Amino acid sequence: MAAIEIMHLRKYYQKSRGLEDASLTVNEGEIFGFVGPNGAGKTTLIRILMNLIHKSSGDALIFGENVDGKAKKLNEIIGYLPSETNFYAEMPVKDVLSFFAETRKIDFDRMNELVQILDLDLTKKVGALSFGNKKKLGIIVAMMHRPKLLILDEPTTGLDPLMQKKMLDLLKEEQKQGTTIFLSSHDLAEVQEACDRVALIKDGKINFVFKMDDLRMSSFKKLLIKPLNQSLSFPDLTYLGDVANASQYEYKGNINDLIQFLSKYRFESIDLRDSTLAEIFLDYYKKEA
Amino acid sequence: MTFFSPSLFKIEFRRRFIGLLIWSLALGASMYLVVILFPMVQDMYAAMPPEFAAIMEQFGGLPTNGLEYFSTEGGMMFQLFGALYVALEGFNIITRDERERTVESIFALPLSRTQLFVTKYASVVTNILLFSLINYGFSLIGFIQIGEDINMGDFTLFFALTTLMFLVIATLSLSLASYLKVGVKSGIAIAIPFPLYILYIISTMTSNEILKNLKYITPFTFADPVGIFKADYELPWLNLIIFVLLAVSGFISAMICFKRRDILI
Repeated sequence: MAAIEIMHLRKYYQKSRGLEDASLTVNEGEIFGFVGPNGAGKTTLIRILMNLIHKSSGDALIFGENVDGKAKKLNEIIGYLPSETNFYAEMPVKDVLSFFAETRKIDFDRMNELVQILDLDLTKKVGALSFGNKKKLGIIVAMMHRPKLLILDEPTTGLDPLMQKKMLDLLKEEQKQGTTIFLSSHDLAEVQEACDRVALIKDGKINFVFKMDDLRMSSFKKLLIKPLNQSLSFPDLTYLGDVANASQYEYKGNINDLIQFLSKYRFESIDLRDSTLAEIFLDYYKKEA
Repeated sequence: MTFFSPSLFKIEFRRRFIGLLIWSLALGASMYLVVILFPMVQDMYAAMPPEFAAIMEQFGGLPTNGLEYFSTEGGMMFQLFGALYVALEGFNIITRDERERTVESIFALPLSRTQLFVTKYASVVTNILLFSLINYGFSLIGFIQIGEDINMGDFTLFFALTTLMFLVIATLSLSLASYLKVGVKSGIAIAIPFPLYILYIISTMTSNEILKNLKYITPFTFADPVGIFKADYELPWLNLIIFVLLAVSGFISAMICFKRRDILI
């Protein structure tokens, strides 16, 4: 059974578009990334799944259950992290956590474990927490009941690099336990590292969905050479320009052929790497434009 | 199926407790002061020139006992300021989570919208009952302190009907918050008690028969303190039933709106 199934989902706020025609399926047990520019419809889609807003048309199912009016039942198995995490500012962190644990009727073991992993000060008032620490609190609240499905709206925004790494490790650990993770992000490197599949949303439509492995296979390579040399000529090798005393090329062919070709020349340095998801998307947008 | 969440109730109560305390203590202390001033006011009345006393006759005459005095001085103040407090309470119970952006986290809990609505409403009702009880206590202590013998039945009836009137206003205010879009400032909530209070004042002060009928369109009428403490008092049942029904229908329609409400923050 699919963890999330969205079919021709549409949401209009009076005349303005939230979602135009979104369809996708998230399989049970996978980490699914959801990326797109600001205003593309990422948060709208997530809020429909969370029953915070109501769709205009189409269907949204979680574990085969239509989400409409099922918040009580579905929220038992969903952990949700909003893009901006806000809790009762006037209360100490420990009281906020106790409230969520009590409402969910869970034991405190998992919660305490998460507090330790994310290193959160329980004695502070929520209002005194930094943005990053509020995010940590949100992550603990989302994960404390060992949900079957985690819906995370920009989970690592505001976290320092070390904490981002911890967060991604935590997600992978959750996945090993069988949790399905649906996350939206602006950080393509994070999506590239964590996700099994990724969808691109633009103007309220899902433009494409692909497996990260396929993407890695089909994507182009980036080549940076020093000293400057704009005249390398080889099939599938395209000169892009000079960047910081290095000439930049894009290559879409067989990597061994390229290495053989490059071995005929003498360089100060060579940097040959896979293209990043950001570069792939930029490439996609350029083609679209 | 349960319609109530004890943990949410506890946290809502806790979040609103300081507000409850400030309003209750400030108004309660004022009521207490009004009551303990009665012996001094009585002396002033006794020393009042007969011409002035004749003028006062036009407005119902000088109060002859503690409760009559209380009705015009303490009772009306309690009703006006209390109505403002409960209107804000009713409005904020819906909008505060949206304004403070805590709504996304709360709505992600395994609670239905009906449960959220009913629990929030229960916390408003509890606060109103405590608010009235504290003010009842302060006023009573004042009367005990000055040794004024009051009719406890009338005194209690006044607080009971005023509490009912507060519940009606809070429910109408909560309904207003549910009908309006997310983001409307809570100040709009006072648009409910103020006009209703003014209608009540006009209907009691005028000799115009048409304007007197304004009393039917304000809930302050069924809790009119001047009337309650009179010997020949009759409860205006029609007015009371109209407003209780209005509050019930407001509650139901607000719950329907709340269930359909899009959380756009």
